[in-house]
Amino acid sequence: MNPLQITIEAFRSMLANRLRTLLTMLGIIIGIASVVLLLAVGDSMKRFISKQLEQLGTNMLFISPGGDRAQQQRLRNGAAPALTMLDAAALNRLPSLAGAAPTLQGGFNLAVGNENASKTVHGVTPDMFKIRGWKIDKGSAFSDADVRSAARMVVIGRKIADQFFYKIDPLGKYIRIENVSFQVVGVLYGEGKQVDGGDLSDYVLVPITAAAANLVKMQFPGNVHYVVAQGKSGGNLQDAIQDINETLRDRHRIKFEQPDDFRIDNLASFAETAKTISAGLAALLGLIGAISLIVGGIGIMNIMLVSVTERTREIGIRMAIGAKPRDVLLQFLTEAVVICLVGGVFGIVLATAAAAAITATGKFDVFITLQAVVVACGFSSLVGVFFGFYPARRASKLLPVDCLRYE
Amino acid sequence: MTAEVGSPLIDIRGVTKSYFSGGVETKVLFGIDLAVPRGDFLAVMGQSGSGKSTLMNIFGCLDQATGGSYFLNGIDTLTLSRAELATIRNRTIGFVFQSFNLIKRMSVAENVALPLIYAGVSRAKAHAKALVELERVGLKEYAKRTPNQLSGGQQQRVAIARALVGDPPLILADEPTGNLDTHTSEEIMRSFQQLNQERGITILLVTHEPDIAAYSKRLMRLKDGHVLYDGPAAEGLREMALGQEAALGHPPLPPHPTTSVPAP
Repeated sequence: MNPLQITIEAFRSMLANRLRTLLTMLGIIIGIASVVLLLAVGDSMKRFISKQLEQLGTNMLFISPGGDRAQQQRLRNGAAPALTMLDAAALNRLPSLAGAAPTLQGGFNLAVGNENASKTVHGVTPDMFKIRGWKIDKGSAFSDADVRSAARMVVIGRKIADQFFYKIDPLGKYIRIENVSFQVVGVLYGEGKQVDGGDLSDYVLVPITAAAANLVKMQFPGNVHYVVAQGKSGGNLQDAIQDINETLRDRHRIKFEQPDDFRIDNLASFAETAKTISAGLAALLGLIGAISLIVGGIGIMNIMLVSVTERTREIGIRMAIGAKPRDVLLQFLTEAVVICLVGGVFGIVLATAAAAAITATGKFDVFITLQAVVVACGFSSLVGVFFGFYPARRASKLLPVDCLRYE
Repeated sequence: MTAEVGSPLIDIRGVTKSYFSGGVETKVLFGIDLAVPRGDFLAVMGQSGSGKSTLMNIFGCLDQATGGSYFLNGIDTLTLSRAELATIRNRTIGFVFQSFNLIKRMSVAENVALPLIYAGVSRAKAHAKALVELERVGLKEYAKRTPNQLSGGQQQRVAIARALVGDPPLILADEPTGNLDTHTSEEIMRSFQQLNQERGITILLVTHEPDIAAYSKRLMRLKDGHVLYDGPAAEGLREMALGQEAALGHPPLPPHPTTSVPAP
């Protein structure tokens, strides 16, 4: 009996029991759908992370005050040295760094006319625009002179501009931040998640000095919340970290045996963490897929055993008219594989729909890759062969005389 | 696999069959000897439990004898593997069963073509040959229907077409009229006679009805696993009727016109 003939027969017996076949397939459908989705999500996640990293900027180092937990506690009580504007200025002069800029930040009430909302306000220096790669859409950023004079200027994200100055040119207008008027001098270009979790289009940027004078109350004047530094492109980031470490320890007069009173975080290591998390998520999805494939496979084995029993007489007839044990084995094996493959195709369709649904939310783009489809098909036929073999073998071992007697 | 010319198609010597269950041996056949030459039409008769079905299964290579020898078409069947036996059944034997044994999911034509498919014939060729055989039994126009849409007699004719599609030298018919009314039974038996006479096909028929056995040339009667009679059909049947008369104590009923043996 040729393979085409066997496949045709397998499809027919599948269609003879539609509901049962569909229910049997369900496990395989869910299993394959989650395997395909896992591959697609894993892939998209990788792309997403590298895109995010591009947005965040490369070679970025985050320097925050407080080394260990105890120090962070003392820092909160104002009993430990923090990072200062002068620290940032010293780091800015390091040859291994492209730049270093301090930040003060806090949540404040913004108001224009009757419109008001609570937003995170960042006090920064012009250097920060360079380091973070922020671009100006309209107007301009504030200058070093503006920082020195603590000018009450503000650069706002696109969304803020839309919210407070709908269809009006915001340049030259005033925003009250905690009832202090700041003049809008620029609107940021673009949007996208920033390292602090905020969106660029939702940013409110003022000169750090103006923030210190009017908004953020620090216990010690000159202290900053954190410093962002950028390693020289092409330079070794580890060297830059080493330089920052030495400079700050020196400035903070930390003795040789004492621990650091600051932390240097590498954005690349955040990316590593994100990758680890996404790998974990993929593993979880994979586990779900594997479990439902196994459960589905057992379901198929069960149904195939039922089918063999139900069709004992048919097996007897086929054997009587010339089916060899191998023909019977292949027939039932093919049936199991066909159920799995068709289930696999449904699974791929389901996964594609799910991917489209995820993509439609706009947060995350998921594409089903060809590789995922090939893997899914391979997997599902493997399940079919593995779980279909025992029932098929059992059918092939039946004796024709017993089968023909079976009622 | 070539048969010796002149050798009997079926040649069994001292065939025994025992069933074992729970370590207890139940003997069903006690040393049967039988030679069936090509072109013979043999009816095997016996009451249930006489071993006729067991013998038939051995003839059909559906079951293996416990002892003795069985040469079919010159081939020693007791030494063959299951796959080889399948090939023998496919090439040498056409089966006709009491319950027709058609596969309900498949169309009539597909049922008839199936032995050829297992023989490795292409789909198109097998289908064409199936239609030829269906035409011979007068059911060509039913080719696309399923067996359930046919009457019992029609289904049995489909089964005969299926038995003949591979041009086997032997047809084994196990109670072929058991599920059919008298009129249809006659039709079926006449077609067996025709096959025997016109195409020279050897026919082995199992039945418990003397009327049906009457269509054969030769009769073998089995009782409790032993051969009771082996000889010309007419004589054997007469002997049987006399035996019944003796047992019942009254003369046999006058023969019904439709149950009389047709003239050859």
